Amino acid sequence: MNSYDVVIIGGGVIGTCTAYYLSSKGVKVAVVEKNDIASGTSGKCDGNILINDKKPGFDTLMAYKSQQLFKELEKEIEYNFDYSQRGSLYIIESEDEWDVAREYVDQQVEDGYSMRMLSKKEIHEQEPYLAADIIGGIEIDCDAAINPMLLAYGLAVEAEKSGADFYNHNKVEDIILNKEGSVEAVITDKEKLYTDNIINCAGVWAPKIGKMVGIDIPIKPRQGQILVSEKTFPVGKRKIVEFGYMMAKFGGEDYSRDVSPELEELGIAFVFEPTLENNFLIGSSRAFVGFDTDISFEVMRGLAKRAVRFFPVMENINVIRAYAGLRPYVPDHFPIVSDVKEVPGFYIAAGHEGDGIGLSPITAKLITQMICKDTLSIDVEKLSFSRFSNNQNY
Amino acid sequence: MNDDTIICRCEEVTLGEIKQAIKEGARDVNGIKRRTRAGMGLCQGRTCEKLVQMILKQELGKEYKELKPASDRPPVRPLTFGVLGGDKDE
Repeated sequence: MNSYDVVIIGGGVIGTCTAYYLSSKGVKVAVVEKNDIASGTSGKCDGNILINDKKPGFDTLMAYKSQQLFKELEKEIEYNFDYSQRGSLYIIESEDEWDVAREYVDQQVEDGYSMRMLSKKEIHEQEPYLAADIIGGIEIDCDAAINPMLLAYGLAVEAEKSGADFYNHNKVEDIILNKEGSVEAVITDKEKLYTDNIINCAGVWAPKIGKMVGIDIPIKPRQGQILVSEKTFPVGKRKIVEFGYMMAKFGGEDYSRDVSPELEELGIAFVFEPTLENNFLIGSSRAFVGFDTDISFEVMRGLAKRAVRFFPVMENINVIRAYAGLRPYVPDHFPIVSDVKEVPGFYIAAGHEGDGIGLSPITAKLITQMICKDTLSIDVEKLSFSRFSNNQNY
Repeated sequence: MNDDTIICRCEEVTLGEIKQAIKEGARDVNGIKRRTRAGMGLCQGRTCEKLVQMILKQELGKEYKELKPASDRPPVRPLTFGVLGGDKDE
């Protein structure tokens, strides 16, 4: 009989990182993954470890703590997952954006984060290929990047060394609860795994797993598309994001960008990520199209247009591939990292939308602390599953 | 062929690296690609995909028809940002 202290459902970065932290504490763990490790959202995204797209306060703190954990992981894990801390840069197009950016930077600096405004002269000195009309930027020191697939494989390899078992190509078909309504077993198409604890790390598929224990998890798939360039010269030195990205992400009402209605409709905002392999990735887009991961030509065109607007030099650089992934969207933009009062032994670690890679260590750490009944690294009230039942707005 | 033989020329991935990826759980071309970058280069696997399939077949003892092909994604051939964005003619 296969019996485990904890069964983790989902072999993306959240599931593998949780397996890594739990097994390193001696907890007997199984990971059940319907395909291969990192074959879902974690294999169809970019590798951001950022605070720059987080709101001041709790949101930033959680991301910053996760960044510190990445520094530890880089030392602990044998696999090289392409960690690089090159900082990030916001680019500012207009005086209106400058004022909002100034306010944001003042608040973050007051909270102790290392960042600064760059003047027009400074930003063009640092990033000579940037479009000439850019009026300034924000430079953020702590931001970093990784390769999420290699991270997940590296974590899985380490977790296996500590005794975790991986059941890849196993599709969860049902969850058995005992007479008291607590977790008892996970049934896959190949195995029956007995356990007192299940962690639902299934991302956009988390609601399907939730249904098996009779709960509604308010996560929706939101498609994001990315373009990959050929290997080329260093067009930009670090992660570079248009300031309007924040607005595309949070749907802010304070100002609007000077973009065509088509670009606004497709939720396109310029995000540039240089890889250590000398390619770069161009994002970002946001669309609710169910579980569809087909490429939209309109989005490809919009992404390319926006890229050339900020870096005219890209005009002659080749795009070699486009891909789309599904981000687990939650209405209030906070992930769910929580136990479930209604089902003792059932936990959720999902719903990070575009922040899952960056937040994977802090999420995995918190769930591990919950399971081991250790002191929590941060207050998790905002991440609780019960927030949805307390607030009818969801 | 020995373990140092280059299978993916664009990304310089060797036979040994591909075998290691299979050992770590890769079961199809996409799994090899995500672990090693084989097929991620300029030609997008046009040259190496068949070779990778052959290695998978040998290592896993499977038939070709059981092996999933790599996911096809646009563009069909490299295209500049300028042309794709619509502001520049080819």
